[in-house]
Amino acid sequence: MHKRRSFIQNIMLAGAVVLLLLFCLFPFIQILSTSLKYQFDWGNPSLIPRKINMDAYRELLGFSATKEVEIPESIKRLLDNPLLKEEQKQKILERYSSTADIFPFARYFINSFLLSAGAAAVSLVLAMFGAYSFSRLRYRGQKIMQRGVLFVYMVGGVLLLVPLYQMGVKTGLASTVWGSVLSLLLIYIIQTLPVSLYMLGNYFRTIPYSIEEAAAMDGCSRLESIYRIILPLSVPMMVTVFIYCFIIAWNEFLFASVFLRQFPDFHTLPLGLQSLFVSRNAIWDRIMSASILTLLPVVICFMFAMRHLTGNLVEGGVKE
Amino acid sequence: MRLAPLNERDTMSTVTLNGIYKKFDETEVLHNINLEIGEGEFVVMVGPSGCGKSTILRLIAGLEEVTQGEVLIDERVVNMVEPHHRNIAMVFQNYALYPHKSVRENIIFGLKRAKVAKDIIEGRLKKAAKMLELEDLLDRRPSQLSGGQRQRVAMGRVIVRDANLFLFDEPLSNLDAKLRSRMRVEIRRIHREYKTTSIYVTHDQVEAMTLGDRIVVMKDGRIEQVGTPMEIYLNPVNIFVATFIGAPAMNIIDAMLYLGFIEVEGQKIALNNRVEKIPVPASGRRVKLGIRPDFFIDEKNTEHGASLSRIENALVDIVEPLGFEREIDATIGSQHIKAKLDLRTTAGEGEKITLCFDMDRVHLFDPETGMRL
Repeated sequence: MHKRRSFIQNIMLAGAVVLLLLFCLFPFIQILSTSLKYQFDWGNPSLIPRKINMDAYRELLGFSATKEVEIPESIKRLLDNPLLKEEQKQKILERYSSTADIFPFARYFINSFLLSAGAAAVSLVLAMFGAYSFSRLRYRGQKIMQRGVLFVYMVGGVLLLVPLYQMGVKTGLASTVWGSVLSLLLIYIIQTLPVSLYMLGNYFRTIPYSIEEAAAMDGCSRLESIYRIILPLSVPMMVTVFIYCFIIAWNEFLFASVFLRQFPDFHTLPLGLQSLFVSRNAIWDRIMSASILTLLPVVICFMFAMRHLTGNLVEGGVKE
Repeated sequence: MRLAPLNERDTMSTVTLNGIYKKFDETEVLHNINLEIGEGEFVVMVGPSGCGKSTILRLIAGLEEVTQGEVLIDERVVNMVEPHHRNIAMVFQNYALYPHKSVRENIIFGLKRAKVAKDIIEGRLKKAAKMLELEDLLDRRPSQLSGGQRQRVAMGRVIVRDANLFLFDEPLSNLDAKLRSRMRVEIRRIHREYKTTSIYVTHDQVEAMTLGDRIVVMKDGRIEQVGTPMEIYLNPVNIFVATFIGAPAMNIIDAMLYLGFIEVEGQKIALNNRVEKIPVPASGRRVKLGIRPDFFIDEKNTEHGASLSRIENALVDIVEPLGFEREIDATIGSQHIKAKLDLRTTAGEGEKITLCFDMDRVHLFDPETGMRL
């Protein structure tokens, strides 16, 4: 029997929990706070802005009006040079014409979303079949394969970066935009597949095999029982695996920075953020608001996963 | 390989097992099983846990592979036929209901999958639900049902099918005594209604005796005896069958067999014709004497002049009143015996009693092999 905690112990426990939460959440609160502050407020240590500033969000999301930016005199004199070609003049003018495209959030979001969702979907489908074979079937080499997939995690991404990029160059994939995207998609799938296999495999093992046997007696082939019985029972775990893979791909920066570097239109959100940090538009409120917009989908995914994942769907099927 | 259904609905399946051996890794769990089950028969396989009866059922269903031997259904070898092509319906010991489907969907799942017409499905569902008292539960999920209700759903799933063979794997083992008794009647009624060839596995010898047209008694992966309930009850082939079937179990008493009589704890009992044929050396032969508690009669309640054998001066230890009869635990010498006597018996605990019996009801067994002599 557990001893009941005293009032003091309860207070101390609550205090420890609050401190831990603050420690984990403080960086995110700081990011949010800075993203909502005007420039005069940036030096203010208080987390609450004196005046809420939504301009950064509006600019990043493209809701602000196109601004006329004043061209410096020195640049104007440069533009008057008759030896300067028209193309070159346009390129210089573009840098001063509008600030609306400092962070094309929509484009980066779509790029990130398609790449992450695509990788997560393919990884999920492959993991479903692989995990079923690991958990239900018996064949030679099964244990080796089951443990072998973990090799992917034994070598860090940094070590694999150069050889993988060299492979992309030698095959010609890395020199085209779609080849690079395909390479990145494959890398994301390989990165997420082992954990998907393990999560789904462990979940399939909790589904009593007698339920599949009952489906066989009802006339279902193995594929049919996977489709009609296993998959419907596995929806919560499949959603979890999809979200998990999506988040891994969404946050990935290293491989994207190499494979997509030369294709700015196909940059993902992490790449876009990094470009913003080193650009002339690296202003604190914009940087922080861009960070918030990048991490928002991840937070929504987690909240969805926690709220909509139901309890044990297998309950009631067999005698415990 | 996809085969056509093994049989039509009008005729039920026969099942034959020829020389079946089954190994799990290096452990042999079934040894040379040979059995024939006729069309429409209700056969009960009974034995202690781990004797291999469920394994036989699973081999017939195709859920396990045969190591050696042949499984024939309707005289066709089905060793390589997948379970979903054998047209068999099965009730699992742990129900194995589809947890994400309602009771209705659980019952009609096989029919829907086979694309049976909707009106036929509805008709069968209605009949099964009425028979099994599931009408008010059709929209519930298995997690919202009690154990007995789940078991009935599992049976409903079987009886609506167009199967030629029903398999029952200890379907009542998880129910309380009252519900078990009620469900036995339902199973019997289902068999009478549908006349489907059925194989029923249980460790409960009462279920075996009450349900089966024939009983298969198993021990340690071998068939000990096959016969009707009364054949097995009255003529067990060995000590194991004799003591496994019947409640309370048959008394097995150490005795010495001589020419013309048998000696039990110093008491001499004359032999009958049947027992006299057993070869006996002059010095006698050790035997085990078996007699069922039901076949004892209190001497005080016998008719005058009745020619019965008797065991005298049995000391009554315990008397258990069972309503219309009494169960007596007694000792003769160093051995214990049980007797089921009627209400007229007045012997109390600590008193001596003379137990009479018909020698024709006695079986003698070899103490080494356990086989009946």
